[in-house]
Amino acid sequence: MFLDDEIAFAKTRRSSLKPLISVALIAVLGVFITLTSLAHSALAGEKISPLLTPNGVNMGSLLLPSQEPGYYVEAPRLKADVQIDVTGPILRAKVTQRFQNPGKGWVEGTYVFPLPEDSAVDSLRMQIGDRFIEGKIKPREEAREIYEQAKREGTKAALLEQQRPNIFTNQVANIGPGETIVVQIEYQETVHQTNGEFSFRFPMVVAPRYSPMPVVQNVRFGDESGFAVAEDSIKDLDKITAPVLDPRDNAKINPVTLTVNLNAGFALGDVTSPHHKINISADGLDGKTITLNTDEVPADQDFELTWKAAPGKTPAAGLFREQGPNGKDYLLAFVTPPSLKDDNAPAPKREAIFIIDNSGSMGGESIKQAKASLELAIAALKPEDRFNVIRFDDTMTVYFPQLEAADDQHKQDAIAYVRSLQAEGGTEMLPALKAALSTQGPVADGALRQVIFLTDGAIGNESDLFGEIARNRDDARVFTVGIGSAPNSYFMTKAAEIGRGTYTHIGSEDQISERMIALFNKLENPVMTDITARLESGSDAEITPDPVPDLYAGEPIVLTAVIPTGENGELNITGQANGQPWRTSLDLSKAAKGSGIGKLWARRKIADLEATPYTDDGRQNVDAEIEKVALEHHLVSRMTSLVAVDVSKSRPDDEQLDRTKMPLNLPAGWDFDKVYGEVSAPAPADKSRGITLAQVQNIAKMAANSVAQAPTAEAASIVATRTKSVALPQTSTLADRDILLGLMMLAFALMGGCLLFLSRSGLKTYAKAWGWRDE
Amino acid sequence: MSNRKRGGGWESQSALTRVTIIVLALVGIAGTALICSGLYIKAKARLSQYLLQQSFAARLAGDTDARPWPWADFTVAARISVPRLNISEIVLEGATGQTLAFGPALVNGTPEPGAPGTSVIAAHRDTHFAWLKDLQVGDLINVETPDGIDRTFRVNGSRVADWENNGINAAAFGTHLALATCWPFDAKTRGPLRYILDAELIDDPVNIASSE
Repeated sequence: MFLDDEIAFAKTRRSSLKPLISVALIAVLGVFITLTSLAHSALAGEKISPLLTPNGVNMGSLLLPSQEPGYYVEAPRLKADVQIDVTGPILRAKVTQRFQNPGKGWVEGTYVFPLPEDSAVDSLRMQIGDRFIEGKIKPREEAREIYEQAKREGTKAALLEQQRPNIFTNQVANIGPGETIVVQIEYQETVHQTNGEFSFRFPMVVAPRYSPMPVVQNVRFGDESGFAVAEDSIKDLDKITAPVLDPRDNAKINPVTLTVNLNAGFALGDVTSPHHKINISADGLDGKTITLNTDEVPADQDFELTWKAAPGKTPAAGLFREQGPNGKDYLLAFVTPPSLKDDNAPAPKREAIFIIDNSGSMGGESIKQAKASLELAIAALKPEDRFNVIRFDDTMTVYFPQLEAADDQHKQDAIAYVRSLQAEGGTEMLPALKAALSTQGPVADGALRQVIFLTDGAIGNESDLFGEIARNRDDARVFTVGIGSAPNSYFMTKAAEIGRGTYTHIGSEDQISERMIALFNKLENPVMTDITARLESGSDAEITPDPVPDLYAGEPIVLTAVIPTGENGELNITGQANGQPWRTSLDLSKAAKGSGIGKLWARRKIADLEATPYTDDGRQNVDAEIEKVALEHHLVSRMTSLVAVDVSKSRPDDEQLDRTKMPLNLPAGWDFDKVYGEVSAPAPADKSRGITLAQVQNIAKMAANSVAQAPTAEAASIVATRTKSVALPQTSTLADRDILLGLMMLAFALMGGCLLFLSRSGLKTYAKAWGWRDE
Repeated sequence: MSNRKRGGGWESQSALTRVTIIVLALVGIAGTALICSGLYIKAKARLSQYLLQQSFAARLAGDTDARPWPWADFTVAARISVPRLNISEIVLEGATGQTLAFGPALVNGTPEPGAPGTSVIAAHRDTHFAWLKDLQVGDLINVETPDGIDRTFRVNGSRVADWENNGINAAAFGTHLALATCWPFDAKTRGPLRYILDAELIDDPVNIASSE
């Protein structure tokens, strides 16, 4: 046996202590192997990742409920056409995609599309079979009722909702077997500008995020014992699901055509696409048409386009105008302040007040991450800065009586204090916030007062806190750092907006340094503050965003405004740069014509409304106001959805869907023909990637097998309700592992002790008794 | 052969022996500490449930601000009991690492038990929900909310799913209850899989009779 062997092993060389060390080493090795195998098995578990869920979608995808609850099958995408019009700093995209229900039953599909954070979705059009539906904007609840009713009645319907500011879902009820669906959405966003470079990104398909490994484990009930065993036969699942659900396969049969009409508003210099080959044709001096080089379309990477102005022509400012209804004009202005980075001027002094939440809800990983982040933040302070630390649970401590200079001694003291914090007690946030905003003395000349708030935001009195920030922030900027996997991001985002700061989310330990450094850059380098804009004539101009946020390095000021029609004169923009007043004027009569500015204004207006200081008015007023603006501008928002219902009931089953039955005259503006051209017959592009028609059909067949289908249109809605998932928390303690490990270590120590004892006393006797000889 | 004195005092031991003894002692102490910390987790789970039962009783009796202990940072959501297994536990509001150390907890974003939709209660597999594996299809689960209403749910089935993509629809039709814990039950490490037990409200006695 093991112990006997060890004794024998030890005995042969018992003249020295070497055997003991060897045994110890072997045992330690054993412990390590056990540990690593434990860790490894845990890791192997983590590797399993979802096949396809709404969160895993990178390009607009039509998801059909699969037979596994919570999972979706991506409907084969037959063709996609993207048209992007760039007008100055505005981008308008029209995405038309054609999908097919590969199954033999009726389904409710969910069309999910992720978009940039500030994009405004205003249009939804669908062609289901031979019907056209255009979405109408309605208040959210009303839209859902209309949709649900249509769904129950077996009528085709579509509902487009905003889930989060950057995730939109479009549910399509009652898609018949084999039916083709064409979805067209339009959205608008601002072009990204940094350091004189203009760019945008269009999400195509991203492969690496998906793992072709199957996830789902089936539980099989054997006899009637009620116990279930998990089925580990991954091979079978692999066959059924992986080929369909791996979007790379879809990508290959997914011919994308993409056209960008680039009207930059200035003489263009380099136009490049880092990931795709493009054809560029000139279209006037400052206009260009860019198309994808269709012979080679790698649809597995986001499309990105960057452009620069011709040398010396980089615009310092831009002004666009759109004539709206009701005697209103919409204005879009952008100004890139001259290089304000004055190397001689001292960096502005900071007055940082850190608030750390050490209440019970921060227990575990959260408090560790919060402490590590805060230590990093304190260490990054410069000697000329001043700072203080406040911690709170149901009590609170202001560490220094007043702001202290960030010299080494104070920094070390504060870091030591932060390290000593434990997560326990209740969450009383208001006193800490009050202390940070009101009791830290006046702001020194030229200094930036910054309140950095690290918490999970597990509170119920958000409006009190918002009110406190709105009333007492004065010149201070409030930056929130959300800690943990599920912080109250509603609170964090709003608090930062009201406090004119930013929100940083730290979800795991490995994000701390990267995200905190990005935050420090913002904290340290505000380029311009106190930006305001006014019309020279004194007329009312409603300007969004309001207030204009601080400007950080390389960014332009981008403003939208609504002004009376015919208003001329100048728009004056002022600000503070490095403690110096800065001012510029834009002549309204020189504005170029732009389109979609009204929607952009409305989108920003809604964002402003969402950030309205939580004064006494309450939430309803804000909601009503958002609804009003969104309805007026036909925008999807938190309060409004687009809904479309077919006029007649679904086509009977015996009527075949046939392409030739398509009406030849499409309604004006509905250029579906681009995607309605060829059927899934392999285009030349597909041939180059070696996909045959047989393969395409095969993939479609496999998709059909894994879609959860309903025999009737009515039943489709029931199948589809088994979809939205709730994330479950971690529900295992490390108690058992700790006890097991502790027992192993104790056993090891005892064993080692015994061996030591034996080697020093009884070994010789044993050896003789066992008939072994020394040396 | 060694000429060292046997069984001598600490001073008489060679340096190597001393180091070995110290190392072994440290390993032993660390092991004991680990065992203690593991037992502490279990003891805390046990004791807190005892205090929580008392505060829940006080809450039912009308004391709206009853806290199990003065510095407790959570509120009580319900009492869950399984008569067949003689189980009774207090469910807390909001499943975070902190609350789960003290008891089963209602997962954020799911309705209160008894409200339309699927309310999800999660707990640790090795403490409060260790009995989840013993529940069988057809078992009855009672859930009593602080307003004094006692509802009965019947287990419909169980399955294993990923923590994120588990098919639980918080807004499902009907009134459902899902109990979730980590899976596999006897694993010593953390993983992404959860064991989910689905149950449905059966307040109507006729339903019980007809479906049995």
